[in-house]
Amino acid sequence: MSFALLVSIEFKKIKHSKILPILLAAAVILWVPSLLNSHLNFEMQAEGISPEHNFFIQGFMGMCWFMFPASMVVVTVLLIQTERANRGMLKMLSLPISAVKLSLAKFAVLLALAAIQILMTGGIYYLSAAAASEAEHYSFVLPPLFVFKNIGPLYAAAIPMLAFFWMLAVCIRAPIFSIGIGLSSIVPSVLVINTKAWFAYPMSYPFFVITSEYGRLTANLDTAQVELVPWIPAAAAITILCLVASCLFFGQAERR
Amino acid sequence: MILFEEYKKVKRLGFFPALFTGSLLTAAIPIINMAFRGQLYLDQQASPIQILLAANWQMMAMLNLLLTLSGSCILYHAEYADNAMEKLKTLPLRESSVFLGKAVLMVCSMTAVFAVEAAAIAFCSCFWFEAGDGFAKELCESFGYSLFLTLPCMVLSLLISQACRNMWVSLGIGVICVFTATLLPANSFVLSLFPFAIPFQILPAAGASGAVRYLCAAAAGFAIFILAEPVLRNIRRSFE
Repeated sequence: MSFALLVSIEFKKIKHSKILPILLAAAVILWVPSLLNSHLNFEMQAEGISPEHNFFIQGFMGMCWFMFPASMVVVTVLLIQTERANRGMLKMLSLPISAVKLSLAKFAVLLALAAIQILMTGGIYYLSAAAASEAEHYSFVLPPLFVFKNIGPLYAAAIPMLAFFWMLAVCIRAPIFSIGIGLSSIVPSVLVINTKAWFAYPMSYPFFVITSEYGRLTANLDTAQVELVPWIPAAAAITILCLVASCLFFGQAERR
Repeated sequence: MILFEEYKKVKRLGFFPALFTGSLLTAAIPIINMAFRGQLYLDQQASPIQILLAANWQMMAMLNLLLTLSGSCILYHAEYADNAMEKLKTLPLRESSVFLGKAVLMVCSMTAVFAVEAAAIAFCSCFWFEAGDGFAKELCESFGYSLFLTLPCMVLSLLISQACRNMWVSLGIGVICVFTATLLPANSFVLSLFPFAIPFQILPAAGASGAVRYLCAAAAGFAIFILAEPVLRNIRRSFE
């Protein structure tokens, strides 16, 4: 069975899971305060950032600090619990398909849902920016190329975090621990990005990337900038380790 | 009796070790903050508890909310997994007693969590500051107040978990609620009454008159959610 087919089967399994409305609701709620407080963006000009850039970056900072990582924890719960309910995992492992492939197919779905949420947030950004432009008689809408140039690195930076969350969901059988560790690991990321060891903490990557972009766009604000070394080697090592662990432990309890 | 039954059910779910670990993690926040950035707070003119809560409570309350959320999801996940809820309905038990049992269990567990956090604040106060007269009373008042404000959130989390058969839906709704609470402006009294936002309030910041208003709001929220449970259960049944 090809990997693409396995991924498509995984998508069929979550078709009626209501995960997309949950991700959409989170994206909508994110932009409501930005829209209501759009006039405040003009005050930030004193810091050397244009109102339209501030509107965009504040919304995405709100997304990266809690909403996006927490939604991904919810997605991992969905992916693993659909198999654990009614002994689905046992049935899946009885098929002549490698467990490694099955684990990676589920991770691919997690990556896809992460991309969907970021794109939804981008889509709602355009709607709210258009509404704010109408309300303030000032264009808050940024060119799509600028938006994609920012959300692309943000998505890439989230991959190690997603691998870590997937490893938690697979390796820790008690859901309260995997959920608890996943959610509580998000909270310190706001502190970790201010330390020199931020690259060792994958949950802080998306927030670090968007914060450094905020610093780049703001003339009077100095934030730490992304340094590819040691970040890329550390991120690659974390991703590989987490994926190897999740592939090894996938369905291990059921195989005993 | 109900509480004992609920305790027996959750004994093997990892509920208590998870809450205990979570409470240790939350309790570590003020200790780590003082260890690394203590100089920032030592010169401030206020009582040690006020200084420590002002510096750390936002993050501690956030972790408490996440603990409440994941705990309530697990309590109902255990009932819905393998259709235990259906079997429960065939027993000569009032359905509301199941909810009340879980609510009491949650409140008792979170009281223990708050006690661990209070111990951490007491440790920081004694180690880095000088705990004066009336310290124990102030500590009990502050944490009693915070626990009371968390009650509506606990009951609402349980209501959401009861309403959703799938854990990811209840967890997703809870996460959205916590996220919404972080977006609400702190200076608006009405918006800060949102059940997931009210636990971010601290006693010293609220002031004497403000504290009473928040306590009344929390009591009203708690009562409304408890009374809403049978109504929501009946609505849910009509859709099954």
